[in-house]
This record gives sequence, structure tokens and C-alpha cells, in this order.
Amino acid sequence: MRKPSESLTCVIPSEDAAYNQNAPGSGAFGLPRPRRGTCFSLLLTLVLFSPALAQQPSRMAATRPGATAIAIKGGKLLTITHGVIENGVVVMENGKITAVGPAASTNVPANARVIDATGMTVYPGLIDSETRLGLTEISAEPSTNDLSEPSDEIMPHMHVADAFHAETDLIPTTRVNGITNAIVAPGTQDTLPGQDSFIQLAGPSADEMLLVRDIAMPLNFTGSQRRKMDWQSGRGTYPTTRMGMAAQLRQSFLDALDYQQKLADSDKRKGEKGVQPVKRDLKLEALLPYLQGKKPIVLAASEPSDLQTAVALANEFHLKLILNHVTHSQSLLDYIARLQAPVIVGPIYDFPKENERYDAVYRLPGELFRRGVKIAFASYDSHQVRNLPYAAGYAVAYGLPYDEAMKALTINAAEIWGLADRLGSLDVGKMANVVVANGDPLDVKTDVKHVFISGQEIPLWDRQMELRDQYSK
Amino acid sequence: MLRLPTFLLLAALLTAATAPAQTPPRDLVIKNATLLTATHGRISNGSVLVHDGKIAAFGANVNGPAGATVIDAGGKYVTPGLIDSHSHMALDDDINEATSPIVPQMMMLDAFEYTSKEIYRALAAGVTSAMLLHGSADMIGGQAVIMKTKYGLGRDQLLFPNAPRSIKFASGENPKRVFGMRQQLPSTRMGNFAVQRQALIDAQDYMRQWDEYEAKKQKGDKDAKPPKRDLKLDALADVLRGKLYVQIHCYRADEFLTEMAMAKEFGYKLRAFHHALEAYKVADKIAANDVGVATWADWWGFKHEAWDATPWNAVILMRKGVRVAIKSDSDDQIRRLNQEAAKTMRYGGATEEEALKMITLNAAWIIGVDDRVGSIDVGKDADLVIWDGYPLSSFGIPEKVYIDGELFFDRMLPGYGLTHFVGTPESLPAPPRSGSEPESTEVR
Repeated sequence: MRKPSESLTCVIPSEDAAYNQNAPGSGAFGLPRPRRGTCFSLLLTLVLFSPALAQQPSRMAATRPGATAIAIKGGKLLTITHGVIENGVVVMENGKITAVGPAASTNVPANARVIDATGMTVYPGLIDSETRLGLTEISAEPSTNDLSEPSDEIMPHMHVADAFHAETDLIPTTRVNGITNAIVAPGTQDTLPGQDSFIQLAGPSADEMLLVRDIAMPLNFTGSQRRKMDWQSGRGTYPTTRMGMAAQLRQSFLDALDYQQKLADSDKRKGEKGVQPVKRDLKLEALLPYLQGKKPIVLAASEPSDLQTAVALANEFHLKLILNHVTHSQSLLDYIARLQAPVIVGPIYDFPKENERYDAVYRLPGELFRRGVKIAFASYDSHQVRNLPYAAGYAVAYGLPYDEAMKALTINAAEIWGLADRLGSLDVGKMANVVVANGDPLDVKTDVKHVFISGQEIPLWDRQMELRDQYSK
Repeated sequence: MLRLPTFLLLAALLTAATAPAQTPPRDLVIKNATLLTATHGRISNGSVLVHDGKIAAFGANVNGPAGATVIDAGGKYVTPGLIDSHSHMALDDDINEATSPIVPQMMMLDAFEYTSKEIYRALAAGVTSAMLLHGSADMIGGQAVIMKTKYGLGRDQLLFPNAPRSIKFASGENPKRVFGMRQQLPSTRMGNFAVQRQALIDAQDYMRQWDEYEAKKQKGDKDAKPPKRDLKLDALADVLRGKLYVQIHCYRADEFLTEMAMAKEFGYKLRAFHHALEAYKVADKIAANDVGVATWADWWGFKHEAWDATPWNAVILMRKGVRVAIKSDSDDQIRRLNQEAAKTMRYGGATEEEALKMITLNAAWIIGVDDRVGSIDVGKDADLVIWDGYPLSSFGIPEKVYIDGELFFDRMLPGYGLTHFVGTPESLPAPPRSGSEPESTEVR
């Protein structure tokens, strides 16, 4: 989602400002000034050790599957995979969903804690297929950002899992709106910026929250990865053109294939006298699972020409594809359908081009669906991941069937990321990531009342609620 | 009841049938609508009668004169046109004259790119009026454009007639960063306010020189020489004389207090704090000073002074008596102000009418045009939106937009959906299906 311009470049961190004596973030004597989040964690520590306030939860909301069964009873279940059940029951035990069905015919264990969901909507936790959660805290403060390594375009050995800040204040603010899982992807400055992780939005520590590390690798080909050429000085860093980007990618893949061959050769001759082991090359090593088709590439392109160039390149190396954005490729919808690759679509709020109708992008999810393309939604955001369901609602207003919008936030995403056996629907055996809300999940007015992650209730609490309570007395 | 010569009515009808863009009907009735008036609640099965571009009557039992153009809304919702009290659209990159922290002589009108498609997209989102402000690089920025989104017409036809003048002030991180990066004053919040205070002192001195000159002239002193006119000081003098509405970009609680104290010190009035993400912390004081607030529904965390934001801000302020508007400050968000306003129903429990006011009447007050637009009331400009779906939800989208009683946008029209713009989009998709989702579950 596009951030408000706030009329200045305030959203974009200024590299210069970070090293300026007078810049925010640097206090007297050049010592970093603690940001407010730090003060807050001190406060939180005090709060946690104060018996009177002991019920105040921590940001981590550790989820250790409880032994006690929980039954959500009487709500309207959006199961996603087998329709809507009015007046249904969901039972969760040991972190898993153990029963789903109509209240009349579904057995609730005698010891279960029963949550009355009469008049409520119950649905699986929503999945955001691209976020920056845990990689940024305050957008304009460089010290809080771990988004991109701009020194080179080919950085497949960057693992967001290595930077993922599980204690970020952004996650509680996200999960209280019913989003329980997300892809964390690096920034988009590089063609190959690193590898995504799939996270759970609660857990005792980063280890548990990183559900799948290195789940996929973005390949960005949108034009914005080009480096600036200064014609006056003649200085520029390769690649400054799309041709350069493509050639650099191709060479990197060839280098990796060559490295793979060397590894195989060395393996074959193992034990022979005088054979030196091949020295590990992190960059090339990181590309191998993708060149072997073991993991998918998330190919980001918006314009038709970029999409076709990047797809041709990917096909040349037999990469397994998930398409990303395709925002302005309305002229290639049938071509996209023929590729039989899923599409992470949007952001739906991207502007149409100058000569397009105002709703050209709003209608894209519906148009892709009608051509049989499997779609999933993403916020591409950090602070506003919580608004993901509303973008899906907007797609519904512009022609995507409602049930498909729900699927694009749940089961489709789970399937695309290879986790459909564990997530994405209210089905027995799946991880108990379940949300109870007082209305339509896609509507802005709807208030989320309960969130369960791995069967454990997440406190509906975040820093913004604390500020509200502190000042609205 | 209004009577018109038959030939005129016939002419109006024929015009409407053949080329709706040419002449707006003198009489227009939108009937069979659910009116969300912003001032008189919800009127089911209501009608609005428009005469010569103004709302002539509205309610459950309103009929137009014979021959009036009748639009059957088919039970759909009709609201006043939405108003964005903080936008920088249609200004290309000419938002900040950041070469000096005091530039009140900048006129945004001089950069107003009235053909920009940003205006079209705002119109298609139901926005009919907007205030285009100078940016926040400077402590005292330029003077705003107040406009209507009559896309396709000439520049001056887009200007809101006789709207009050507004000027942009700023504070906090932006000015101190912009000038601090260049090792210039201001680079701190102390610097910010020193620069602002000095400019106002210069203006006081300028006014005194002019007063002395006028006094001498009055006494018949023929040798009296007028001071040299200075555009910058002219504008600041107008601030001190109360001729300019002061619109302040401000985030932090302490800065609201300082700005209000400085306004008192120099005797000018503040119209509204913009962004104002920490306003909830000093809501009582802002209410006591009768300063409005134009804020976002839920943006936060993009910079340090936006860290203590809470989406309950708008409703906390409203309950303490502050006039609150939800604004975009974004060419993107201006396209779904209705959705943003609806968030206040969820965060804090604003009623439907309170939420609607934040993007209509309260925004109009901040701009100073609340006697002319912002609600469905007799005598107001007929700026009206017919919605497909419930507007205060994720699903409501504008179907038709009228400004001064004239149709400017209709999504069922082919091409751009515009009535006054000549041109066709690159590809011509069929008009999207109608029949939106049923009104989603009412939460409160």
C-alpha cells in the first residue's frame, strides 16, 4: 500500500540524515538516542513485574499449545474449503483444529473452554503474501531498518530470517486484526535481494515464529532496480539499464550452474589424491535450490514488457514461478493464465497509468480470477499490514467474487506457499489459527474479538490501545 | 413550487438526452435514495431536488417541477460530495519551495496542474472539493488552492468561488531536517520556532511602518513615503490581520501547545492542526482553542513523530469537542476517503453521521466553506454522490458524482466515465458489473 506523501520525503529515510550530528536519532556526543520504543520496553518490563498489572501481555504473546480444549460455539463459520456453516462449532486442542461442524452435530469435549460466538463470524487466520514485518520499525529512521543490501543487485545469500525482529511493535498491531501469518520479504532495491521467510505472528521467540525460513526468493524486474548513471561524470554502477539487469541475472545463474557442476565433479572425485574441496561460495550456493526447482522464485514485474522479459529469463533456467504484482499487465491477462503460475496481485491501490481508466488496477484481481489464475493478496507493507483485508474488500467491490477474495487471503496463499496441509482453512488437523470477529472480515468496520494462533488465544492488545487507554480517561 | 416555461424544460430534456455534458439541467431530482445527509441523519426512500446547482429541497416527500430531470437511485445511498481538507494533488512536483523556511508568498495556484488525472481519480472516488496545500518543508509555506473536482473544465472553473484563503505552516521533523541537512537554521525544534517567531516579528514591524505611513497620509503629510512593498511580509501581515486561515502541519503534543501559545502571543487564529497524530494527548486544550484537526484514520510509524499514533485519535478528539476531519495527504488515499472515515466507526465507535462528517462537513469547516458544501441542506451546492454499496464500508464505490448539480462522473459510462473530458482510455473495458455486495453487517 502506498503511504501518504505527507508532502515531503519524510517516508523515505534520508541516508545523509543518519550521519548528521543534528539529525534525529543522534544525541549529544554522537551517542544514539534511545528511541521511544526502548523506553517503552523498559516500561513494559516494569508492567510485567508488577503483580497488579500481570495480565498485561508481552509483545511476544508466546504460544505454547495449551492442553485444554477450546470450543468456539454458535458463530458463522467461513470454512473456506467446505462452505459456510451457520451456527457452527470449532474445537481446538494441542494447537490443532480437532473438530469443525454444525453446533447440533459437533461434539464439544466436556473439559473445553467454550467461547460464545453467537452473531460472530469465525474464519481461518489471514495470510499476507508479502510484508516487511520485523525488518523495520520507524520507516524514516535508518537505524531501525534492515530492508535491502544496496551494495550489489545479486544478493541471494541475504536471509530475512537473520534480521527478523520478533519483538517488533508492528506485529501485535497486525495480529489484532486477524492476520496470523505472513511472508517477510526483503526490500525491492535489488533484482535478487535475498530470501523470504514465512512467519507466524506469535510465538515464544523468533525461532518458533519463523515457520519456514528461506521459503522463496524474490526476483525483481520492475525497472526500479537499475542503478543511477551520472552522464556528466561518466560514473555509474552496472547495471544502469534493463539490459544490464537481465545480463547480470543471466550471468549469475550461469555462474551458479557452473558452481554446481564443480561441486558435483569434486564430489565424484572425493577421496582421490590431490583433490581440493570446492570453496563454498555463499552467493552461488544460495541460488542452487532455485535453479534445481526445489523452491519458487517470486517474480515481480508490473509492465507487460518487463513481465515477458523476466518470464523468458526464468524459463531459460527452468525456475519455478510465483508471479508478483503484474499491476499494469492487463494486456497480458491471457498470457499470464497460460503460464499457470499463481499471482500475488497488487497492490490493488497502485495507480493506473495516465491513460487508463481509474479502476484498471482495482479490477485486476477479478480479471485474473475469471481467467482461472490462482491469486493471493499482499499488503507489501509493514505498519499497515493490518489493512490487508480491506484491499480484498475493494477487489470485491470491483468484481472479484466474495468467496474468492476470502480464498486469496487464506487457502490460496497457503497453497502457493506449500503450507495448505497446515494453514488456510477451518479443517480438522490444521494449525489452530482462528479468528472471531463481529462482522464481515473484509469490512473496515468489523472488530476482531478473538485471535487464536496455534490454538492459543492472543491478547487483543497493542501499544496503540495502551496509548488510547492512557489518554482517553 | 418552481415553474419554468415549457420550452425551456423541453430544451433541458433534449439536452440531457443527447449530450448530458453540455448544459446542466436547471431542475434535477434524485429520487428513491437512502440519503445520508451529514446533518439530519439518514432518510430512507428520500429525494433531493436540485435547482440551478443548489439543493432546493430534500426529504421523503419531495417532488420536482414537471419536466425536471429525474434520476432513480434505485434505493442506493446518496451522500454529500466528499471533501479532502489536505491534498497535494495536481501540483506536479511543485509542492515545496524549500529554499527558505519562510515562503508565505508562494501561491499554489501558480503550480496548479488542473489537467492532472489525479483530479479525475479523486472525482471518481466521490471527492468534490479539496484544499491543495503547500508542503511541510518550511515553517511557513505558501497559500492554498481551494478547488472543486470539475475534471475536464478550464482552470478557473475548477476553483472554488470566493473560498477563504488558507496558508500552510509546519513544525517538527520536516523543516528541521530539510534545513538542518544543509547546516542551516532551523535544525532543531528550538530553531523551528525561533524562525517562525522572527518572521512574525518582521511582519509586525512591516505593519507598523505601513500604519505610520497611513497615519501621516491621513494628517495630510504630502512628503510621506510608503514603505517598500514586500510580498512575503504582505502575506505574513495578512496572517496577523486574520485574513488567512492558518493550517499547521504538526505531530507532537508539545508542538500543539507551542503553536497555540505563539498564535496567542501574536494575536492570530489557528484554523486546524494537520496530521496531528498526538493530538489526542492534548485534546482538551485543542478543543478549548477551537482549533480543528485534519488527520488520518490509522497511519503511523513512518517517522519518529508518528510513533505515538493511535487509530482512536479521531474519535477521542471528537468526543472532547474538536472538529475532526479525515484527510488524505495522498493521491492514493484520496481515492477511498469513505473507507478511511468508516474506520472511525470501528476505532472508537463513531456513528455513521459522525464518520461521514469527517469527510464532508468538518472538512468543509477546516477549509472555511461549510456554509456552502459538506451536507445535504437546502441552499448548499448540489455536490452529491450516488453510491454503489454502503459508502461507510470496504465495499461502497461511487456510481455517479454531481458537482453544482451537474453530472461529472458516471462509472457506467464507457471510457473514463467522464462527462466533460474528451478522450478515451488506452483500452476500453466494458463498464464494470453493477449490483454490489449487499450492505455488510452493521457493526454498531
